[in-house]
Amino acid sequence: MKTSKKLISLSVWLILFVLIWEAAAMVLSDILHDPLAEKKVPKLLTIAKSFLENYQVILNQSFITLSYAFSGLLIGTALGVILAITLRLSKTLEKAVLPYLLASQMVPILGLAPIMFGLFKNISACRVAICAYTTFFPVSLNMLLGLNSVPENLNSMMRVFGAKKFQIYKKLLIPFSLPYLFSGLKISAPVAISASILADTLSAKDGIGYVIIYTLYGAGTAGQFWPAIIVSALLGVLSFFAVNFIEAILLPKKIRVDEQ
Amino acid sequence: MKKLSGYAIKIDNITKVFYDAKGKGRVVLDNVSLNINAGDFVSLLGPSGCGKTTLLRIIAGLEEKTSGGISVFGMSPRDARVKNTYGFVFQDPSLLEWRTVLENVCLPLELKKVPKKKRIEIAREKLSLVDLSAYEKNYPSELSGGMKQRVGIARALVTEPEILLMDEPFSALDEFTKERLYNDILRIWQKTNKTIVFVTHNINEAVKLSNKVCVMTTNSAKIAKVAEIDIPYPRKRNVDFINKVSEIKEIFEGYFYENI
Ligand SMILES: Nc1ncnc2c1ncn2[C@@H]1O[C@H](COP(=O)(O)OP(=O)(O)OP(=O)(O)O)[C@@H](O)[C@H]1O
Ligand SMILES: [Mg+2]
Repeated sequence: MKTSKKLISLSVWLILFVLIWEAAAMVLSDILHDPLAEKKVPKLLTIAKSFLENYQVILNQSFITLSYAFSGLLIGTALGVILAITLRLSKTLEKAVLPYLLASQMVPILGLAPIMFGLFKNISACRVAICAYTTFFPVSLNMLLGLNSVPENLNSMMRVFGAKKFQIYKKLLIPFSLPYLFSGLKISAPVAISASILADTLSAKDGIGYVIIYTLYGAGTAGQFWPAIIVSALLGVLSFFAVNFIEAILLPKKIRVDEQ
Repeated sequence: MKKLSGYAIKIDNITKVFYDAKGKGRVVLDNVSLNINAGDFVSLLGPSGCGKTTLLRIIAGLEEKTSGGISVFGMSPRDARVKNTYGFVFQDPSLLEWRTVLENVCLPLELKKVPKKKRIEIAREKLSLVDLSAYEKNYPSELSGGMKQRVGIARALVTEPEILLMDEPFSALDEFTKERLYNDILRIWQKTNKTIVFVTHNINEAVKLSNKVCVMTTNSAKIAKVAEIDIPYPRKRNVDFINKVSEIKEIFEGYFYENI
């Protein structure tokens, strides 16, 4: 019932978008006779056609971008969870580290890339590291929020039944924080994809971001530009739904923090 | 019926002061002394806010006393807690939302590393005692307040603790369920010779169940009187019963008039 409503509103938005896009494309090419119309706003059919012509390249390059993003996401999540648990273990450490953690997020990825490259001396590792870095923060912060939101009465309950410290983590704190972790991942996953695309453009010679930049500057196959843009956007959306899907499998319905 | 094995809980001049954010102290327990024999069924009776939960938490080693001495079977409350001496029924049920009823009841056994088959067997037995066998696969959010409370009671019983601490376990229950659980708890007590400390603000309940009633009053933060109740079980609402109830009422009223 709720999902069907969501689907309806989603399709309405999609149809509206397509209509407006097509109208704009029509105005540009057929009414204004703009010679660059094909580049600015090509008709959707043209995009579809060029996607079909280039789909192998685009999907291959997307897969490369995606695998860097995914590796980064995994590493960033692992580090984020470990940091959150460490900070939870020591309040003094939390007070000392948290401000720097916040400050670290002020460094833009563009500035970060040369530092990372200097650090790793390896472009692949650098790309993974950039993705890990951007996902690390939302995951870690949300996880910490979850760990700190455990009600005192549940803590007392575990202690009174003789739970050891690691048992309190294993059976109370971590399961309690999982929904928080997932809301962090819902932010992180699309961010990891964006970071990966950006990392493609910086220095690499492959990845969907590279295809976009390459074709944008007029090199390569011009027809690849718009399909690549659309596929990258879809990757971001897809990653969000993938996290939702995994959450639905892993967590019993009762404890999911429902959006809206 | 009573074991003569000395004190189970020995409380010596305990004081508890809570400090607020401004450092202003508030005396919740003022020089409270109380000896509880092994096998006693003691009620802590008093109006809301008089410090019943606080005293119970100090006994359980969940809260530190400000001054005074306390020992449980010769140990500190902390040590007693780690040795699984306590079963605790919380004022709010304190169930884990992501676990089913059965898994919640199994938790204390899980913490003690009892094998899975065995713990399910014991948990089922206690669930049938509180009449919730049909709900073992449900999640707490699917239960009524009284049902959750009964899950909490079953959970407190699974480890066969020597001391059962109960914080207003029946206050959320209807009269019918209450009557039945009164009988069950008395049966368990008489059969196993557990020591029970039972918090309530219901005079009838205290007189019906316990062999000692500690009357606590709001303004003094002290135990006003420990009334022995030697009416034989099962207790009916006879003359002795009603006399006892009015005797205890008079203690409250005495304090009430003294403080005017
Ligand atoms: N952690 C705490 N910090 C500060 N004050 C507290 C704390 N816990 C309890 N108090 C105060 O101590 C007093 C006694 O609280 P307690 O919970 O022991 O009362 P109670 O007798 O159990 O009441 P009720 O019947 O309503 O449960 C209250 O005035 C309460 O405000
Ligand atoms: Mg209380």
